[in-house]
Amino acid sequence: MADSTQTEDVTEPAARASWLRRTLTNQQVVLFVVLAALIVFFGLHNSLFFQTGEFSNLLTDFSGLILIALAETYVIVAGGIDLAVGSTAAVSGVVAAGWIQPLVNAKVNEAVVLLVGALACALVGAIAGGFSALLITAFDLVPFVATLVTYSVGAGLALVISNGAPVGYNPGAIYWSASGIGMVTWLVAIILVIAIILGVVLHFTAYGRYTFAIGSNAFAARAAGIAVRRHLVSIYVTSGILAGLTGMFFYIRSGSGAATTGVSNSANLIAIAAVVIGGASLTGGIGRWAGTMLGAAVLTVVSDGLIFINVPPTWIQVVVGALIAVAALLQTFRRRSRRLS
Amino acid sequence: MTTTETRTPVLELRHLNLHYGSVEALHDVSFSAYGGEVIGLVGDNGAGKSSLIKTVSGVNTPDSGEIIVDGQLRHWRSPHDSMMAGIETLYQDSGLAPDLSIGANIFLGRERRRSGLLGRLGFLDQRAMEREALEQLARVGITIPQTQRTVSELSGGQRQAVAIGRAIAWAKHVIILDEPTNHLGARQSAEVLKVITSARAHGLCVLFISHTLPHVLEVTDRIIVLRLGRVVRDAPTSQFTVESLLAAITGLSE
Repeated sequence: MADSTQTEDVTEPAARASWLRRTLTNQQVVLFVVLAALIVFFGLHNSLFFQTGEFSNLLTDFSGLILIALAETYVIVAGGIDLAVGSTAAVSGVVAAGWIQPLVNAKVNEAVVLLVGALACALVGAIAGGFSALLITAFDLVPFVATLVTYSVGAGLALVISNGAPVGYNPGAIYWSASGIGMVTWLVAIILVIAIILGVVLHFTAYGRYTFAIGSNAFAARAAGIAVRRHLVSIYVTSGILAGLTGMFFYIRSGSGAATTGVSNSANLIAIAAVVIGGASLTGGIGRWAGTMLGAAVLTVVSDGLIFINVPPTWIQVVVGALIAVAALLQTFRRRSRRLS
Repeated sequence: MTTTETRTPVLELRHLNLHYGSVEALHDVSFSAYGGEVIGLVGDNGAGKSSLIKTVSGVNTPDSGEIIVDGQLRHWRSPHDSMMAGIETLYQDSGLAPDLSIGANIFLGRERRRSGLLGRLGFLDQRAMEREALEQLARVGITIPQTQRTVSELSGGQRQAVAIGRAIAWAKHVIILDEPTNHLGARQSAEVLKVITSARAHGLCVLFISHTLPHVLEVTDRIIVLRLGRVVRDAPTSQFTVESLLAAITGLSE
């Protein structure tokens, strides 16, 4: 019965595309090659780049980026965008730093202090994310505008609360941030574990599936009985929590909270860049955990590597811009080749 | 369809009325529909076709009147309620998520979980879903070579066939198809009509909304003509020609 009712078209794009072409247009494969080439390039220019100390630095910088980049992956896959992640990191770090300073002064066990700090950051982040979600789902603001509001409010509040100066002082945190096994610090290990959980949830669970479905066709998702609004709220709140934890990450590294964290370096745009370089579509429905991780790795290696070969830091943004352009062009090429074949 | 009249209708509408503000969208709409029956729902723009299917599928709430599904009086609070009662609705061009695989689309909102703890944590049994999706589509005469491909890579006709296959897979009683052959070429339309016939063979009632009168005449058993929110004709398809149908739709026949 199958043959008589074939609905297959004459053209068969996937079968016609050559193996080489498919590989070249697979963003993850391309990124992996680019990443390897970059490491070799920087290593050849300066052999110090291969030292474990530098590798540890790379891992740490990578860790400061991946939580917000993965948060951004969920948001972008669901068809939105979150501009607030940078300033949410700032405001949560500043607020938490103020809250836990009495514990620091009272010489409470450092692990307890940092755990309380992380919870405080997550709470502030959840409030920020919840505010964006409220503007989007209850007041129907587009995500770009809603999260721009949250970004602005967060950055402003961080400055007001901190008065423009670092909040608190916790040398124990800095000391702890360097401890670990070999070149992997505990801090990096914890963040990598969270990152892996985020990847598993995105690609193997119903939660992840609904995220893709909503970004691909929100109407179809709603018609299929998925609670679209509730899911979007949870995504923006999670994004806020991850931004808050990134705020804690920077608190731990510097021993204080600063209003410039994630704001002065436009961390929100770097996170979005990592997602786009990773092959996600800003129209929603398309994105991969591995793509974002590789995108963040490429950005980290480029930023750190350029400094290593004595390129002025001011040029780094130009290079990042070029990287985004190349990634976007690759995606356009891939989509066009699919349509033409 | 003379023998079906003694059975319980799978869908019965009694005196449905619906207003949008002061605009009367549906006026005293009543009809019964039986399993294994394809009913064409035709009418001019604004005749009330969309209002009617949205009321049956739970998007709209009628001001008065009753919706009875398989002998039970029902009240929808959301489209999800009508789905749970065995009514699947396929809206124009919007049934599928193009970036998801065919299996993911067939099981959208009804995902198969893995067994045990992993399943309770929300882990999906993706392999089983892809396999069962293929089997289910084959059962209604749709063959797609690779389910892992995303829906965006399918042709328009294939997409529509998959969407209808999805509706057939889950509907217990009724599937509602809103302009399923819109924007499709002749060959692709023929495929879609074939899938509709297969839904009838599975004992489902199909409400087929279309402007393409030859398609309606080809595939339906009965045609209900709506005009200005009222049912103006309800008769077996054999009693209509394109001309008489057009006359009923425009009101020239009265």
